Amino acid sequence: MDILDKGPHGGLAANPDDIASLLERIQKGDREAFMTVVRLYQQKVFVMAFSILRNKEDALDAVQETFLRIYQKSGTYRPGNNFQGWLLQIAKNVSIDYYRKHRQKRQEWETPTPLDDIPVPVVDKTSDSRDSDLRSAFTRCVEKLAAKQKMVFMMRHYNELQFNEISAALEISVGTAKSLHFKAVRNLRKWLTPYLGMER
Amino acid sequence: MNNCPMKRSDWLTYLSGDLEEGRRTTVAEHLKECPECRKDAEEFRRVLDGADAVKGEIQEALRSVDWEALPARIANYVYANAEKPAELSAGGRVRMWFLQAGLRPVAAGVAMGVLLGSLGMYLVLRRPVPRPNGGKTYYASGEFLDRAELEMARRETVDYLEQSQYVLLDFLGTPSSQAAARPGLSMAQARELLSKKKYLNRELDKFQMAKAKAICDQIEMLFLELAQVSGDLPEAELAKMRNLVEERQLFLKINLIKRELQNGV
Repeated sequence: MDILDKGPHGGLAANPDDIASLLERIQKGDREAFMTVVRLYQQKVFVMAFSILRNKEDALDAVQETFLRIYQKSGTYRPGNNFQGWLLQIAKNVSIDYYRKHRQKRQEWETPTPLDDIPVPVVDKTSDSRDSDLRSAFTRCVEKLAAKQKMVFMMRHYNELQFNEISAALEISVGTAKSLHFKAVRNLRKWLTPYLGMER
Repeated sequence: MNNCPMKRSDWLTYLSGDLEEGRRTTVAEHLKECPECRKDAEEFRRVLDGADAVKGEIQEALRSVDWEALPARIANYVYANAEKPAELSAGGRVRMWFLQAGLRPVAAGVAMGVLLGSLGMYLVLRRPVPRPNGGKTYYASGEFLDRAELEMARRETVDYLEQSQYVLLDFLGTPSSQAAARPGLSMAQARELLSKKKYLNRELDKFQMAKAKAICDQIEMLFLELAQVSGDLPEAELAKMRNLVEERQLFLKINLIKRELQNGV
């Protein structure tokens, strides 16, 4: 494992030649090579999926599905290309598909609140104090961002990716990635003003 | 409003730690001297701190996963479910050679030529073919059909709740007016609603409408009790049920659920 560098979130990253050789071995049916790729990138894929799905079990399903696709597409990877960018692009697409597929069923109905806990109007008034919680406000504001701004922001701050890695994963230029990031933070600042006690 | 000519995107890159060394020093010096930029930069920093708060949730999720066991679990799933990895086709190899040799513009030109040629050939050679049913074919995506089904289920549930409300009011009388009950007609309606509920159960389960199911189950229990009583309902039994309905705030909850369903929550 000396070929590996430690990455953010305790994940690891291999150099491009090693990845190309691992993918070649996967194509020949080498299960151990496949598990090595999973070990190297599982946490990065998980963070990407979790950022989108915000649920551990769903994120793990998306991780599994992502590696299934990587296995099936291992023969189409072009050596020299950014493997991590390619992988995270697949993880992002899988997670978004998963989210869309389960969105209808994952609304309030999915968490079956006991009937007696349904808030009657008097109780409802207290929900304002919960809403003031900065973290939930922040999460809601991130959800409000335009799709690409949100994706760049999450990749930069949750996945801790560099802008060149983000640009590879989203197939946009580094300049565009930086510009989307700036717009995202500017919008968040605008929307979070009341929660952060800032003046407009 | 900050009118300073310094680019604000620079502070952001500076605060994210992504600015190159020379530029970082320039921005740091500028922020020391310019109070307006310093104030704006401080606000941006607080927004980025919010991201750190959310990151804590991600770290917590990361800690709760058994990373040692996961690769084997994923490998088992993949090797059980996947077909053999796809190999690059001959066409794919040619494309790869094009792209690796830095011939992207040539590849794009060739692709555009083929596309325009095909389009030209199509326009020249196409024959209008009369279509059955006047060419009117309707398509709907799976997602659209799912949504339509969900909407239907919601409407049927609202309908069921509304009818149940009327029947319950007939039986029990409104709490305020103490209106007389009309058990004969209402009993038949209650039985009809009981059979409707059997169909509704499937829909409620399918779309995981847990709260609506819970309230429909409570109504069903009441109807079952009413259906078991033959003839006129004794006043004591009626009062007991009325108390139960009031205690559980059944009408209020029916209204709340109806409103949620109508709003498509």
